[in-house]
Amino acid sequence: MHESMEILEQPALSAPLFRCRGLGYQYPNGPQALDHIDLDIAAGDRLALVGQNGSGKTTLIKLLCGLLSPAAGQLLYNGRPLEGDHLERNRLKIGLLFQDPDDQLFGHTLIEDVAFGPRNQGLNAERAETVARQALMKVSLAEKAYQEPHHLSFGQKKRAALAGLLAMQPDVLLLDEPTANLDPNQEQVFLDLLQNFKGTLICISHDLIFLYELCDRAVVLDCGRIQHDYTVRHLVAQPSALRSHGLDFSFRLVVTADSDSAPSTSAPSCAPLAPNPAAQPDLVDLRQFSYRYPDGTLALDGIDLTMVEGERIAMVGENGAGKTTLLACLLGLRQGHGQFHFRGKPVTRGQRHGLWRQVGLVFQDCADQLFCPTVAEEVSFGLHQLGLPDAEIDRRLVQSLERVHLSGFEQRVPLHMSGGERKRLALACVLAMQPRLLILDEPTAGLDPQGEELLLSILKDLEGTLLIVSHDMFFVRELTCRTIVLHQGRILEDMPTHSFLQDRRLGNLNGLAYSFRQRGSDAIRLLQHEHEYLHEHHHVHGHPHAAADQDHPHAHGHVHRHRYFHSHPGQEQPHEHAPRRIHPQEMHDHGDDAEKP
Amino acid sequence: MTDITIIHKPLWQLFKIFVPAVALLWAAAAWLRRRAYQRSTPGEEPDWSIPPLPQAGAVSLLHRWDVRVKIITILSYSFMIAALRHPAPAVAAIIVSLLVVAVAKTPPAKVLLRLLAISGFLGMFLVVMPLSIPDRSGDTVLIFNGWSWLGFNLRGLQLAATIAAKAVAITLLMEPLIATAPLPVTLYGLARLGAPDLIGQMVLLSYRYLHVFRHEARRMSAGMQVRGFRKRSNLQTLRAVANFLGMLFVRSFERTERVFDAMRARGHRGRFPEPAPLHLRGTDLILMAAWLAVGVMLISYDRFGY
Repeated sequence: MHESMEILEQPALSAPLFRCRGLGYQYPNGPQALDHIDLDIAAGDRLALVGQNGSGKTTLIKLLCGLLSPAAGQLLYNGRPLEGDHLERNRLKIGLLFQDPDDQLFGHTLIEDVAFGPRNQGLNAERAETVARQALMKVSLAEKAYQEPHHLSFGQKKRAALAGLLAMQPDVLLLDEPTANLDPNQEQVFLDLLQNFKGTLICISHDLIFLYELCDRAVVLDCGRIQHDYTVRHLVAQPSALRSHGLDFSFRLVVTADSDSAPSTSAPSCAPLAPNPAAQPDLVDLRQFSYRYPDGTLALDGIDLTMVEGERIAMVGENGAGKTTLLACLLGLRQGHGQFHFRGKPVTRGQRHGLWRQVGLVFQDCADQLFCPTVAEEVSFGLHQLGLPDAEIDRRLVQSLERVHLSGFEQRVPLHMSGGERKRLALACVLAMQPRLLILDEPTAGLDPQGEELLLSILKDLEGTLLIVSHDMFFVRELTCRTIVLHQGRILEDMPTHSFLQDRRLGNLNGLAYSFRQRGSDAIRLLQHEHEYLHEHHHVHGHPHAAADQDHPHAHGHVHRHRYFHSHPGQEQPHEHAPRRIHPQEMHDHGDDAEKP
Repeated sequence: MTDITIIHKPLWQLFKIFVPAVALLWAAAAWLRRRAYQRSTPGEEPDWSIPPLPQAGAVSLLHRWDVRVKIITILSYSFMIAALRHPAPAVAAIIVSLLVVAVAKTPPAKVLLRLLAISGFLGMFLVVMPLSIPDRSGDTVLIFNGWSWLGFNLRGLQLAATIAAKAVAITLLMEPLIATAPLPVTLYGLARLGAPDLIGQMVLLSYRYLHVFRHEARRMSAGMQVRGFRKRSNLQTLRAVANFLGMLFVRSFERTERVFDAMRARGHRGRFPEPAPLHLRGTDLILMAAWLAVGVMLISYDRFGY
C-alpha cells in the first residue's frame, strides 16, 4: 500500500553531490557490509541513515568521506570519482563526527584540536586559531579553549568534536549517532547546532524522534542494502514498515516527560508493597550518607534513602549529580560516611567488599564488564567467584541466557556480538548471580529500537528489586514506580514516578526537559494516524483552462496526494480509508494538469 | 678483606637505625603525597579561555628560552650530574636544581609528585645496597647480633645516597624542562633537533590517550570487582587478568584505528601542523653556556675536589 509513496517522495536531483552506483564493500575476512548501493544525495539534503546495528550505515559514511575505498561500484562526489587528488581536495570539505568524541579529540588542548582541521586546510597558526575560537564560540565552549579534552564532560567533548568540524566550514557533515549518551539538555543543544548548519547533512541515529526534527529524507539500510528511500515523515508514519526493519520505536510514543496523557497501560503495577509481617529489614537503608572524593570534592551529601525488597526505583539527575558515585557506594566500590545498612546489617569498611554477592550492576557501556573469550565463560565468571558447584553453574548459565533470549550463544565471542546482544549478555551475567538488588545504569544507551523493545520486555518480566539510573523517561515510566531525583549530591525529591513525570519543574532542573521530544512525539503520533497516500483518480470540479477563458466543471484524471484519517483496529490488520476521505481544496495542485481536458 | 672494619651491634640497634629511618621516610612520603594532591587540586576553576602558559609574556626565563636549546642544555647537564661520583657534589647538584625550579616558577606540587614517583625506588636502593654491596678493603660493616650475613656496609649506604641525590637532582629538572612549554612545542623542538617525527607524534598521542585508557582500565576493573573478582595467587586469577589485559589491548587497538581515521578525516597526512615558530636568540645561547659551565664546575669539584 505504501510503496507508491517512495516514488512520490524521492527528491528530484538535478546534480547530485554524491552519486553511488552499485556501491559495495566487504571488510577483510568479514561479511559483505554493503551491497549494490544506488544512492544520490543532493547538496543541501538532510538525510537520515537508519537501520539496525550492523546494517552497514557506518561503512557507508566512511565510504562517503573517503576513509574506505569502494570494493565494487562507483562513488562520485561532485561528478568525479572520490579518489586520488579529488579525494584529498574534497576530504577537507566533508566532516565526519564520530560516535565517541574521545576518538576525535586528539589535541593537547581544545583549541589546538579544533584548529587541527583548519591548519590542514592551509591556514596559518593565527588564522586557524581565530577560526577555532569562532567555532568554539558557536558550540558555547569558548571559555574552555585551553583546557585539555579529558577534563571535559561527555556532552562538552561531543560539542568540541563538532566544533572541530565546523571550524573547517564543511560542505557536508556526516554524523554517527550524534546524541548517543547525551542527556536531554545536551540533545537539545546539539539539535539546535545541527539545525543551524546550512550544508548537506547525513546523520546516523537510532533516535527517530531526533531524526524527525533534524532531517527531511530517510534512507533505510538493511543487511548492507538500501530498502527504502523516502521522507522522514513517511518513515515514521508507518509502524509496520519500521517494524520490518527493526526500527519500530512506536512503543516510545506513548509517553514523554511532559506528557499529560494517561499512564501507560503497560507500566508496572505500583500498588503499595504488602507490609512484611516478619518485619523484614529494608534492603538498603542509608542515613546521612556522604562521600567525598580524595581531592576534597563533596559528591554525596546527607543522603537518606530506603529501598524495600521488590521495589522498582528510578534514579534521575543531571550529569554530575552524584548518581554514579552513589551506585559505586551501593556496590561497595567506594566507602562513604554515614549509616549504610544492607538487609538490616551495617556495611562497614570490611564488609563492603562482600556486597557484590547481593548487588548486581549492568554498566552503561557493557564493554566495561565483558572481557572473556566466550559467552559461557563470561556468564560463568561471577558464578565461579561465588564458589558454586559446576552443575549449578551450568544450570544458571542455561537459565540466564534463556531469560535474555541468548540461548545457543554459549560459544559466541562477546566482542563480535551486536550492541543489543552484548547488553543482554551483560544482564545475563548479573542475573545468573541472582542479586537481591539489580542496578541498571542507562540501560538503553546505544541500543537500536528493536534492542530497546526486547530489553524492555525482559526487564518487565524480572522480579526482585530494581534500580534504574536513566535519562530515558520512557523506560523510567515503563519500569519503575518510584523516582529519586538527585541534584548536586543530594536527594532533591523522592516521589512516585507518575508524579515525577508530570512535574515540569523537576524535569527542567535536572536537564530532563523534553521539549523537542514532546513536539516530535506528538507530530509522529499524528502522522502514524494520518496516512498520506498517492493514487490516480477522477474528480469533477472546475478550474481555469488556458485554451478557453472560462471555468467549468468536468471530470479529469490526475495524480495527487490524499490524506486519510482513521483509527487502526490493530497492527497489520486491514482498515478502510475511503468513507472518511478528506479532500481539501488546497491539496489539489493541478499544475500541468490544468491543460488536460 | 683484612682492612674491613667490622662493628658488632645488638639486634635492637638494627631496629633503632631502620625503624625511625623507614618511619621518617614513610611519613615524609605520606606528607608529600597529601601536600602534593592538595596543591594540585585547584581551588577555583582556572580561566581556560586564555593560555595557561602565556608564551607571549612568558612567566620565567625558562619559559622564554628556545625549546631546542633548553632541551640540549638540560639533557647535557643531566648527563653531567649522572657522571658525579661523590655525595657532596651530588648534593650541590640538588641545590642547583632547586634554584632552577625556583627560577622556572613551576608549581611545587607537581615537582613533589615527581619526587614522590621515584621515592619508592630510591628507598629500596637505600635499604638494599648497603646490605648487598660486596665488601672491599677499607669498608666499614655493621654486623647485627653476630649474623655475618646481615652485614650493613656503610660504603654501600654512601653510594646509594649519592645515586639517590643524583636522581633527585635530575628529577627536579624534569618539571622545568617539560612544564615551561606546552608539550607539543617541546616535542616539536625535539623533532627539530633530529628526533624522528613519529616518536614525537606517538608521545603526544600517548599523553592524550593515557587518561582515556586509564579510565577504561578502571571501569573494566570495577566491572570485574562487582562480579566478585579479587586478585589471588591461583590460575583463575591469572586467566582473568590475562583476559582483562587482552580486552584492554583490543579496545585500545580499536580506538587507535578510530583515532587514526578521525585524523585522516580532518586532513592529516602524516605530519602534525607546527605548533609555533621557533626563534633562536643570542641570549638563549648565553644561558646555555652559563648553565653548562655550572655542570663543568660540578664535575671538576667531583673529580678534583676530593
